[in-house]
Amino acid sequence: VSSTNAARLNKFKNKGKDVGECRRRRVEVNVELRKAKKDDLMCKRRNVNSCPDEPTSPLQEKSQNAQTSRPWTVSEIVEGVNSNNIETQIQATQAARKLLSRDRNPPIDQMISAGLIPKFVHFLGMTNVPCIQFESAWALTNIASGSSDQTAAVVSGGAIPAFISLVTSTHQHISEQAVWALGNIAGDGSGLRDLVIKHGAVAPLLSVLAVPDLSEIPRDYLRNVTWSISNLCRNKNPSPPMPAIRQMLPTLLRLLHHEDKEVLADTCWAFSYMTDGPNDRIEVVVETGVVPRLVKLLGYGELTITTPSLRAIGNIVTGTDEQTQAVLDAGALAMFPKLLHHNKANIQKEAAWTLSNITAGKDTQIQEVLNAGLIPYLVDLLVRGDYKTQKEAVWAVTNLTSGGTVEQVVYLVQANVLEPLLNLLASKDSKTVLVILDAVNNICTAADKIGETDKLCLMIEECGGLDKIESLQSHENEVVYKAALNLIEKYFSGEEEEVQSVAPETTTDGYAFQISENQSTFNF
Amino acid sequence: MFITDIRKEFYEVVANQRVALLVASDVDALCACKILQSLFHCDQIQYTLVPVTGWQDLSTAFLEHREQIKLLIKQDDDLGVPSYDDIFRDEEDEEGDDSGNESDDGSEPSGKRRRFDEVNIGHYWEILFDYEQYEYHGTSAAMMFFELAWVLTKDTKDMLWWAIIGLTDQWVHDKITHMKYVTDVATMQRHVSRHSHRNEDEENSLSVDCMRISFEYDLRLTLYQHWSLYESICNSCYTSCNFKLWTLNGQKKLQEFLADMGLPLKQVRQKFNCMDMSIKENLRDVIEESSNKYGLKDIRIQTFGVHFGFKNRFFASDMVHATAALLESTDKDGSDSDNFIKALESLSRSNLDRLHSGIDLAKKKLLAIQQTVASCICTNLILSQGPFLYCYLMEGTPDVNLFSKPMALTLLCKYLLKAFVHSTRNKRCKLLPLIMAAPKSVEKGTVIIVGIPPESEISDKKNFFGRAFEKAAESTSSRTLHDHFDTSIIELKMEDRSKFLDALITLLS
Repeated sequence: VSSTNAARLNKFKNKGKDVGECRRRRVEVNVELRKAKKDDLMCKRRNVNSCPDEPTSPLQEKSQNAQTSRPWTVSEIVEGVNSNNIETQIQATQAARKLLSRDRNPPIDQMISAGLIPKFVHFLGMTNVPCIQFESAWALTNIASGSSDQTAAVVSGGAIPAFISLVTSTHQHISEQAVWALGNIAGDGSGLRDLVIKHGAVAPLLSVLAVPDLSEIPRDYLRNVTWSISNLCRNKNPSPPMPAIRQMLPTLLRLLHHEDKEVLADTCWAFSYMTDGPNDRIEVVVETGVVPRLVKLLGYGELTITTPSLRAIGNIVTGTDEQTQAVLDAGALAMFPKLLHHNKANIQKEAAWTLSNITAGKDTQIQEVLNAGLIPYLVDLLVRGDYKTQKEAVWAVTNLTSGGTVEQVVYLVQANVLEPLLNLLASKDSKTVLVILDAVNNICTAADKIGETDKLCLMIEECGGLDKIESLQSHENEVVYKAALNLIEKYFSGEEEEVQSVAPETTTDGYAFQISENQSTFNF
Repeated sequence: MFITDIRKEFYEVVANQRVALLVASDVDALCACKILQSLFHCDQIQYTLVPVTGWQDLSTAFLEHREQIKLLIKQDDDLGVPSYDDIFRDEEDEEGDDSGNESDDGSEPSGKRRRFDEVNIGHYWEILFDYEQYEYHGTSAAMMFFELAWVLTKDTKDMLWWAIIGLTDQWVHDKITHMKYVTDVATMQRHVSRHSHRNEDEENSLSVDCMRISFEYDLRLTLYQHWSLYESICNSCYTSCNFKLWTLNGQKKLQEFLADMGLPLKQVRQKFNCMDMSIKENLRDVIEESSNKYGLKDIRIQTFGVHFGFKNRFFASDMVHATAALLESTDKDGSDSDNFIKALESLSRSNLDRLHSGIDLAKKKLLAIQQTVASCICTNLILSQGPFLYCYLMEGTPDVNLFSKPMALTLLCKYLLKAFVHSTRNKRCKLLPLIMAAPKSVEKGTVIIVGIPPESEISDKKNFFGRAFEKAAESTSSRTLHDHFDTSIIELKMEDRSKFLDALITLLS
């Protein structure tokens, strides 16, 4: 029995063949989210610079003086930046920036094919003309905000080192723009992120935050730096280089104690990225002692902060038992009643996912979940959570039945988990069905140990579970079919033998079973 | 320190001293000064009058008179102690609005972000500026000192008239909200009726030197009693903006409007004084009726008028325009202190010639403002810079030297923004504040810059540019002079203009 238990345990956490089962799902979700967010960004357009002329104006018709508000064409910009006059170059760069900042269809590709990027990158270095540095930085930022190809074009123009040296510019608005641009480049993905790190962006970025009191830093500037740093922690395959992470951690820890909501949110996201990986990555984060702060932020009451801090906590409990214990020791479970009943389904789902990894831990850890009174919440989610949340709750239950003591499993059954759990066997997703069947098997095993199998089987039959399991024997998925068949054979088909031992007496209102009550101290 | 009991903490302190009276260059301060002068005269208090145009002047004057100065009274609008209500109200404004462009749904932040030119309106208010960093005007200084005179039972009709002018200055120069104006008008009206009852016999019997103040529900037509009705309509901000007189359509509409009133053009174009009595009789009602038809729903406004003797009749706003014009006269021979004295004189009823010369100057100024507004709008000189609108008057623009003066430029700024709001169809631009720059001194190569809050009926007239200017200057090490008492008015080296503006855009974006 203990060997089968161990085998099952291997299915969860990152011990066995199914390493990162939960995390694999996480990645899918991530991609989804990021894409949705990008679309969202595309839609979040704002109207820009335009002051329509008064058509009835008598002077207007005569005047050719409208050049002040007419946007430049790309070829005018090319001509302007190539002039020998710095004033003209400034104006042209500014005109480019304005075009790139407009709401609809910024002409990013036209700018790239006009060969403007190297010119702008050159302007970044004109330390004696700060305003052209600023304008070109802004223009390049917006080009880099586009598709991967567009970002790559900025990078191949040599922008990364140029921007890095501007981070420490004495002009804060230039520094801020450079930081923003680097954020966009690093945000493109692992490749460019690592390139930015390789060029040595981390130290200057951290240096601008090296002040005794973060509140001295202008808020928007601080937000931009935080966001850019968080982008340096972001993305996997590969994850960011460990030395860079170690370098950034102390600053991120400081930022996590700042009071600005947006700074907090982006910092929490950074922690969620850093903890999204193998145990050694989780370990460097946990050993900074950040866990209690993250736990505290779970209860911050702002969705923008709850989401990433819960994500980070959830990632940490995918780690070792010790790492999980750090979360429990910080009092995280006390936050869960609220999270499991959060009005956002997504939070419920993430909380259930986190819980499922805690119930995949040691039985003492499971006991903490029980003591925190969270089982009724889980049962409730099985009943009325949305589909994704239900799936996570199923995992939490299955993991509990797999690693919990018999007493703990009994407690679970007493908390009426069976009916909602078995109802979910109607799910279309065979993976979920398998996980439920696993749970049923575990519960039966526990019942077996205390000789309560028959009583349990009766309970399963009474809530319609047996019918559902039986119908799974004709399931198209072979694994499901086999698992269902196995359960039936093991616990529900011993008719012949059982006729002898517990022959049902026909009574007026059904069958009465005589249940042997030998060593049982627990009752379902 | 804040003075809470002006009588005990101020007047009784200065009463036995020699006083240095430092007076800022605006009409309200001048009126307050007139009231104090009368009080000092009455109580035989010695004083030295020192006009100051800015902080530098103030400190020079302070050093010069240090020996005799016991108490320094900075006598401009800021002296008005804001009521505690105001302060608390400001704090509440701070809260609320969720900041930022970030979505609130808790989804993962975007990997890349484009920087837009534009800022979501209402957002930048809270970016850098807490309530202390806004500048706004409290109760008129002249009204404060009138209240003092009243408490001392030394108030006179002249003082009351100056208090009214002080209040009207705040309205004319758009320093206070309409609500505040109406409330203060009501206060003044009570004083007016008290005074007309008090001396009914002596003063109300007409005589050459009598003075009668009356509450009026008058037209928002600037200086019309001293102009022709036509010119007044053309050069008043209210009518000019509503008709959009800088357009052909607007001119046509104005003709229709005059026809609708049934006023012959000949009458309308001649001096108001010479118009037929029959027309003048119920002119205000006639104008109001037609105005309503043309969408000028609130052409009338509560104000006060005064009669000096038999023939001289002035509205409070006439006085404000005249005194302001004198104070900022660009007459070559006049120094600042000459202008100051002339402006002060125009407030005395013993010097009506001065007042009339002020009115003439004011007409020129209003004409210049209207022409500049028209040309700025028609040639699209007002540019949207993202967080604010910007307009630069180039050297060589007609009358540009007139606008090197803070009050004139501010007034131009206000008129221009109103006109712009009426002319643009861009809804976003309607909500933006305006920054104007004009050459200050060609020799020194400086420009004067004024920033005003967005134009809206519900505007609280609070101005945050003071702080923003400081920050922008600081971050670009632009050579600026923040000398004016109004921190939203500064001087700047011409060459630093573009970097200063860029910093400002960044700061407010």
